[in-house]
Amino acid sequence: MSRQDKVIIRKIPTGVPGLDEILGGGLPEFSFNIIAGAPGCGKTTLAHQIIFANATPERPVLYFTVLGEPALKMLRYQQQFEFFDPDKLETCIRFINLSQLVLENNLNAVLEAIVKEVEAVNPGIVVVDSFRTVVRKAKAGGDEMELQGFVQGLALHLTSWQATTFLLGEYVEGELRDNPVFTVADGLFWLYQQVERNSIVRKLQIVKLRGQACVPGLHTFRITQAGLQTFPRTFGLTGRTAKTSDRRRLSCGIVELDAMMGGGIPAGDSVLVAGPSGTGKSVFATQFIAEGLRTGESAIVAVFEERPQEYAQRASTFGLDLETPQREGKLHILYLRPLDLSVDETVREILDVVEKENVKRVVIDSLAGFEMALSPGFRTDFRESLYRMIGTLTRKGVTILSTVEVTESFTDLPISGYSISFLCDDILRLRYVEIDGRLRKMLVVVKMRGGEHSKDIREYEITPKGFVIGDRLTGYRGLITGVPGPWNTIVEKNKEIPGKTEIK
Amino acid sequence: MNTGPLMAIQDLARQLLALEAARAESSDGHVDETVCVCEKLRVTLSKFMGIAGFASLLSWALARTKAQIPSLSGVKVRTDGTLEGFDRVQDKPAAGKAGAVLVSHLLGLLVTLVGKPLTLRLVRDAWPDTDINSMDFLNGVKS
Repeated sequence: MSRQDKVIIRKIPTGVPGLDEILGGGLPEFSFNIIAGAPGCGKTTLAHQIIFANATPERPVLYFTVLGEPALKMLRYQQQFEFFDPDKLETCIRFINLSQLVLENNLNAVLEAIVKEVEAVNPGIVVVDSFRTVVRKAKAGGDEMELQGFVQGLALHLTSWQATTFLLGEYVEGELRDNPVFTVADGLFWLYQQVERNSIVRKLQIVKLRGQACVPGLHTFRITQAGLQTFPRTFGLTGRTAKTSDRRRLSCGIVELDAMMGGGIPAGDSVLVAGPSGTGKSVFATQFIAEGLRTGESAIVAVFEERPQEYAQRASTFGLDLETPQREGKLHILYLRPLDLSVDETVREILDVVEKENVKRVVIDSLAGFEMALSPGFRTDFRESLYRMIGTLTRKGVTILSTVEVTESFTDLPISGYSISFLCDDILRLRYVEIDGRLRKMLVVVKMRGGEHSKDIREYEITPKGFVIGDRLTGYRGLITGVPGPWNTIVEKNKEIPGKTEIK
Repeated sequence: MNTGPLMAIQDLARQLLALEAARAESSDGHVDETVCVCEKLRVTLSKFMGIAGFASLLSWALARTKAQIPSLSGVKVRTDGTLEGFDRVQDKPAAGKAGAVLVSHLLGLLVTLVGKPLTLRLVRDAWPDTDINSMDFLNGVKS
């Protein structure tokens, strides 16, 4: 069979941001689907969002309610969502209650009633909420074959009438196996609501979807006034893997440091600025952003530890004006502080602005703050999430600079506690060093994936004008340990040991 | 107190009762218009919320009406949601007034639960061939 002979399965938009991407383009038309999950996980809201996005007078929606949430209460609550359009109830969404029928009759009668309504209305979408009560009825009668026959009959009939169907049911994961309902279904959408310490985390999985490739795995979602919003693990970049071809060097706003980095930061790189508290990581990040703005590049700063106003105010103490570019829409300071945040949500928020404003520079200040803002459940996946986030942003051509606080060690030079150095193209390490009874600051470019860089260890100061890079620190050994000694101590000692070569 | 919304509901109730009274007159029937209005709402609302759902709404509305008009004490709501004994109320002036009160309470409860647009849609479903005057109902009558 040639490619053009194959039937084309049209994809219906779900009306849920991000979900079409997860499904591989949308809902397969005429598919028979199950939306499963525990009470309160958002099954009814998801179904409503889908029906309001698709109902038309020509292909209306039939919504059957069965011994679950009464339709009256359902509509009372659902109309609070922004997607709820009362005009559609007038013209193209019909609610039909089957409770009495289920209570008083067998499944054949229920099937007959559904078929009768479907034939009368010719719906584009049919929903049965909650289907679980129908299943319970069958199980109470002890006739599993009747249930299987009912589901089979329902699926066949609704597909024949070219309706896309959703059965909503309260299921737990253990019920997945040997379930006749799941066997018949073309699509199985599982919604989870997990309590992790003090946070609630909502996740969605497409357990099964016939006819098209969906994005596997668990995807975070949130329910707001707008309804469900899903955050695909692919961040909407499925299939797009090529890194930007723009490899020009970007100035970080500090001439001497640009020189140390071989001419600046290669565009599209991920830069990690690591150092202990007070070494100027945020100042450096602000200078990097300000330089981009100066050259006409829009930017985003994601802050977690202080509010945008405070951030901009602090920048102004270094003579950097972040207020004006914010007003002009060139700079977006995103304050992300909810404690049940997921990385995917944050990245979605950043990506939306990147796409809308053609942003070229992004600062994450800081990774520690970012981690703290996440729900405990997401913290365990933080490293993997960072990997996806950095990959996504840099593939978009964005140069991303992340700051990370490190606990100073006086024996080695740790880069970060997240073991994420391999994710970063370039690493700049700031640290304190004790010299002659004074705490001084030094920096070193540890890594530049894009090419050569200075290996010098330079002293620097944070002044009212920002970073001022000093000379190379010479005459000391063990600078990276933070407690250096003068080279001449070794020279003197070597002189005292016969046979030892003098170090010059 | 803004009595506009309440008056709008009462106006709609009276409109429905008048419609059914006119139909009864033209068909020479002797069925009480209140019973007719409740029956039409029962058919439509039961399909939407189930018989038990409608019966409980009407029971609430009847209880409120009885508190205002004690002569309705013998009226009941059957389990299938139909009204029993309304047409046998001896105090005819009271029964006439009670019809508007009962339907107003029923519509008012619907408005409280699902809002005006949905209530109006359900009412229109019950009287599909009739052009229900809904302007005052949706906008609220100025008190």
